[in-house]
Amino acid sequence: MTNYILKRLGQGLLTVFLTVSTVFILIRLAPGDPAVSYAGPLATTEQLAKVREQFGLDRPVLEQYWIFLQQLFTGNLGTSYSFQAPALQVVAERMPYTLTLATASILLTAVVAIPLGVWMSRRPDTKSEFGVNVLTIAGQSMPDFWTGIMLLTGFAVLIPIFPASGFATWGGLVLPTVTIAILQIALISRMVRREMTTNFAAPYLTVARSRGIRNSILTWRYAMGNSAIPVFTALGTRFAAMLNGVVVVEVVFAWPGVGSLIVRALETRDYPLIQATVLLTALLAVGVQLVIDLAYPLLDPRVRLGKAAAA
Amino acid sequence: MTVLPQGSEISRRRLLQFGAAAGFLLGTGSIAGCAGPTGLPGPSTLTLALNRSLVSLDNKLNQFDAAVTVQRAVRQGLTAIGPETKPVLVLAESFKMTKPTQWTVKLREGVRYSDGTPVVIEDIATALKMYQQVQGSFVAGFFPEFPTVVPVDERTFLMESKNPIPILDSLMSMILISPAAKNKPEELQEGVGSGPYMVTKFNRGAGTYSLKRNENYWGPAPKVENVEVRFLPEESSRVIALRSGEVDVIDSITPDSREQLAGLPGVVLAEASSLRLNQIFYNFRKPASHPLADVRVREALSWAVDGEALVKDVLVDSVSAAEGVVPSSLTGYSKTGSYTYDPEKAKATLKSLGATDLNLKIIWETGEFASDTSVMEALVEMFGAVGVKTQLQQFEPGGNILAWRQGKQGDWDLLGNGFSSPTGLAITMMQGMYAGTAEKEKTRDTYQGYVVPEVQAKIQAASSEVDPVRRQQLLATAQKAIWDTWPCAWAFVPKSVLAHQKRVDGLSLAPTNSYPLVDVRLEA
Amino acid sequence: MSLDTAAPTAGLPDGTPERKPSPSAVTKALIAKAGATRRRNSAKWKMRIGALCTLLVIIPILLAQVLPLPDANHQDLSARRLPPLMDGHLFGTDQLGRDLLSRVLHGGQVSLTIGVLAVVVSGAIGIILGAAAGYFGGWVDTVVSRVLEAQMSLPLLMMLLLVVALFGPSIPVITGVIAIAQWPEVARLTRSMVLVEREKPYVSAARILGLHRIQILIQHIIPNVIKQATLVVLLLLAQAVLLESALSFLGAGPQRPFATWGRIISDGQDYITTSWWMVTLPGLVIVLMVVGVNLLGDGLRDRPRRKKKGA
Repeated sequence: MTNYILKRLGQGLLTVFLTVSTVFILIRLAPGDPAVSYAGPLATTEQLAKVREQFGLDRPVLEQYWIFLQQLFTGNLGTSYSFQAPALQVVAERMPYTLTLATASILLTAVVAIPLGVWMSRRPDTKSEFGVNVLTIAGQSMPDFWTGIMLLTGFAVLIPIFPASGFATWGGLVLPTVTIAILQIALISRMVRREMTTNFAAPYLTVARSRGIRNSILTWRYAMGNSAIPVFTALGTRFAAMLNGVVVVEVVFAWPGVGSLIVRALETRDYPLIQATVLLTALLAVGVQLVIDLAYPLLDPRVRLGKAAAA
Repeated sequence: MTVLPQGSEISRRRLLQFGAAAGFLLGTGSIAGCAGPTGLPGPSTLTLALNRSLVSLDNKLNQFDAAVTVQRAVRQGLTAIGPETKPVLVLAESFKMTKPTQWTVKLREGVRYSDGTPVVIEDIATALKMYQQVQGSFVAGFFPEFPTVVPVDERTFLMESKNPIPILDSLMSMILISPAAKNKPEELQEGVGSGPYMVTKFNRGAGTYSLKRNENYWGPAPKVENVEVRFLPEESSRVIALRSGEVDVIDSITPDSREQLAGLPGVVLAEASSLRLNQIFYNFRKPASHPLADVRVREALSWAVDGEALVKDVLVDSVSAAEGVVPSSLTGYSKTGSYTYDPEKAKATLKSLGATDLNLKIIWETGEFASDTSVMEALVEMFGAVGVKTQLQQFEPGGNILAWRQGKQGDWDLLGNGFSSPTGLAITMMQGMYAGTAEKEKTRDTYQGYVVPEVQAKIQAASSEVDPVRRQQLLATAQKAIWDTWPCAWAFVPKSVLAHQKRVDGLSLAPTNSYPLVDVRLEA
Repeated sequence: MSLDTAAPTAGLPDGTPERKPSPSAVTKALIAKAGATRRRNSAKWKMRIGALCTLLVIIPILLAQVLPLPDANHQDLSARRLPPLMDGHLFGTDQLGRDLLSRVLHGGQVSLTIGVLAVVVSGAIGIILGAAAGYFGGWVDTVVSRVLEAQMSLPLLMMLLLVVALFGPSIPVITGVIAIAQWPEVARLTRSMVLVEREKPYVSAARILGLHRIQILIQHIIPNVIKQATLVVLLLLAQAVLLESALSFLGAGPQRPFATWGRIISDGQDYITTSWWMVTLPGLVIVLMVVGVNLLGDGLRDRPRRKKKGA
């Protein structure tokens, strides 16, 4: 068990390391110059050269990478060019907002999608189920920026019930959460339906039913119990993915989170800020993934950790 | 696999226990990290939504229009650019040129910072040094040289330079004064200023600032008690936020948003001319054999541009076509001519000049000016009508348009670009754009390769002339000389447009696209 | 193809009475209510609706050049932002007086080309790598699986934005970027199917006959899994179209004058409160098309495989 955790931890950290390194190289290969964003369009070549020197961008990429690695292990990711503050601190200030949005979205998703999926699985292919099924397909077919703009127009402009942007009141959380949840509900509820249907068809359930066990127990205790792992995993993975920044939705609703920060950091080629964002979100995502993996055997005693990795 | 009820009971309990444990772990972990809402401002609070993130209230590195309002509410300079684009006195009581290379300045009696300490001469000397030392300074480029401060008495000092700086009073409006001991050669994130407001809370990450009335303010007390500054990058978000009453003022709005907001109850639009000139500028790094190197071709191409349609239909009257090489609101402006639309003449002239097979590439960066893409797409159509093929290349912010502009990445013919003169002076813009020399061109530091020695000499003469009348004449001849080289296919001066709630009063928008916060009132 | 398969299925329920009546307690009504029948009908209807939605969008897009529409780039500054159905503009006009329908259809050609190309590329990469990983195992499997895992924890949209910034927003680059984003799904599925297939007797038989391993993989295993894999590819087409529009929305779409769907929507976003059609209608076209493709894919997957059973 301990060995397994250590191994997973090592793998996770390796992934994070490779991710950050890839991003480090990619942003330096990409065209665009942080010095230009920093010093403005009127700066002379000489001034730009000085700024580059100040940022250490005049050194060879490998040397920059070496310095970056040294700093990385001391927890220092440099100073954000545009914010003139430690990059990690800037990201850390934004992280809670993304976390709020992600948590609210995943909670809403779980609360709606699981009962919906169960409902669909209990009357498969009836007319009402067919209708809901098509609706969930529509839900996963809408571009999120479009859904966002539509909700914004509907519930912030035409019928102004919710604030359009930012996070001044709890009401500001509603529209972005719903925008994200529409897609997630569609995906998760379909998955719940699939899992439940498989379980309903399994022999153990037929046996249980033949013993006269009540339908609600069959559904919630037996079928749902066995569907819990994949559903739990899916919810966790979705949550981890959201921590990488719900970029588009944050941009549409001017949400002060990591997603909109990264778009801006890319625009200004703020290398330390991009690196810090990637590092932090990758760490969180890997961490969540690890928790999910560790929770496997807790949810299902049949799973032994060492073996799960081999499958 | 057969699940006995007994066995299932156990697995269910464990499932519940562990599931709850795992969920609890994950849940508390994430909920603990969540943020609550930032809170709604009270009725006595003025909320501004800026289109760019205000990363500091200092301007050593960069300054964009919308920031000026907030910056000047917290930190002040000796002078400021007033409503007529002329310098007005702020911390200085008098600011006079006593010799060609010497200005005598007297600090206002009783000026002090929000912590109660007085503004002293040493603060000015230090501020100048810090602005000079900072790398990539926004301000340094405007100063031909930094003057030295020589104290005379408690409040009076001299500013001396090697060569005359006749525009020093305008230039000093860009130097914000902070206590000398706390000033550093970098953007100050904290610290006090002498303005009517002080910062109580800020979040650089989110670009929000909370300002509170400075009870120690040396001048007449501001009327609004609290000011909240928010950052809303998307134009549509800002418009919706204003409509729904979430914010009180949005500035730098585009023509389209203005159209949407005009006539809405409860929303007031304010506009002013601006210090900015947006141009469709020619590439002056073309070889002599290239058609664009011929001034007649450049002039003929400008006849293809239907400026009136652009102003009226695309930019919905939010701009005015330029009638000179700098905006008319700048001090020292002189009218030199106007752009005319005559596609037939354009076609005929291009034909007679042998420039029939032109294929031009237009480059620009997204957001360079309002409705930029619409203008560019309209230009494609207009040039197409006179038989000139065009290709658009749009750069996203942060991309390498600079390398392109400098001719290091690829060839282009026309550039959509804006240039503004924060000093309010025509000479600043002329020096920035048209005073290129062969020396500067070596490092590609000229404005799109514009190197015309006669023009440069005329600008040089005007910039060092101390006598105001003579100076104006020199400026006028220089502007005429620039106009005759046809540097742009078209140019226009955008208006600064701002929208605010009806309850906001006393807001006077200046051409600098800013307004004194101290005069703003809120109606109940 | 979808129509061909839909037609015979449609005839089946009516075909049942033609069978010779046999003494059975299973009445027609019971058959009609049976899970299998319902499932078949549900799949049939999904395919029908899916095909209808898809064709409704694709046919006009393919015929965009032939249809009597104004040129997509023809501007008429005096006819700016006309609402739908005005002056012969079915979808209205945009901020430069261009016909919105024509722009949506021509933009659709670009968006669809990118989508189809991306899916072909990602499908090819995914099937080849997935099959290799599943069949050969060992280090091939380790490498492919690790890369798959690493990509899952990457901030995907941000990486795509970076890569587009790096190589410039041309159609090949954007196609490649979307393909890179999508290959893991195909690869994972192919790998798991090949893992099952590998153990089947026909593979051992082929091995005993002395066929080369690569030959077995290409000639025997891949043909057996490719049908399943292509079904996923169809669903990926829907995702590719969505991803392309998200990239365009964030400014990383192909250079103008290519008006892709995402760009039309993001251009129209500034006019949302006055000209609703500029965002709503192009968005609806995307939704219709993606819903269609998703329904089609879903229906094809759920369709009972009668032929196999008969054989």
